[in-house]
Amino acid sequence: MKAAIMQKRTLGIAVLLVLGGSIAVASAIGGDPSGAVVLAAFYLLSGVGVWLWSRRSGDVAALLRSEGDERQRAVDLRATAISGLAMGAFAIAGTIVQLARGEDPTMFALVCMVGGVAYSVAVGVLRARN
Amino acid sequence: MRNRVRELRTSGEHSQGELAAELGVSRQTINAIETGRYLPSLPLALRIGQLFGEPVEDIFELEDGD
Repeated sequence: MKAAIMQKRTLGIAVLLVLGGSIAVASAIGGDPSGAVVLAAFYLLSGVGVWLWSRRSGDVAALLRSEGDERQRAVDLRATAISGLAMGAFAIAGTIVQLARGEDPTMFALVCMVGGVAYSVAVGVLRARN
Repeated sequence: MRNRVRELRTSGEHSQGELAAELGVSRQTINAIETGRYLPSLPLALRIGQLFGEPVEDIFELEDGD
């Protein structure tokens, strides 16, 4: 049982590292090997940090396993909402700054659009279901 | 909202871990309910009532301002 829980937690960390590694590899392919090393180190340190945190906190360990009881799922839901708000605020600020500098705001504007559309669709679907 | 979960648990000489296992939640969640940091869902509150053999309204009580 404990081995299965450990395996799931390790899988959660592995997914984080693979996604981070993919970003680092993409950066290297794009012609920025030093940036790729920095990104790889950042994601590796993040993975180790999350691993250590999950050993101290049952809540974090449960979230890493994509399991958890109703309180842990509520924590996950709120944390997801807060991170979504942070990303949205960052994208809006980025769009404004890029426009003010006379530069192309497309990437930031695209993130804003994806967030806005996803939110609208989610509200529509969730209202119909609940 | 006040609750008597800690009182009922200790009177039955159960640990938080034992109660958590009975209810299928984490020990941290039992602690959060006992200290008032987390309000359980209606199904969980009903299961707590069932486990202690008491109506849920005798375990969870509204306070002024709730």
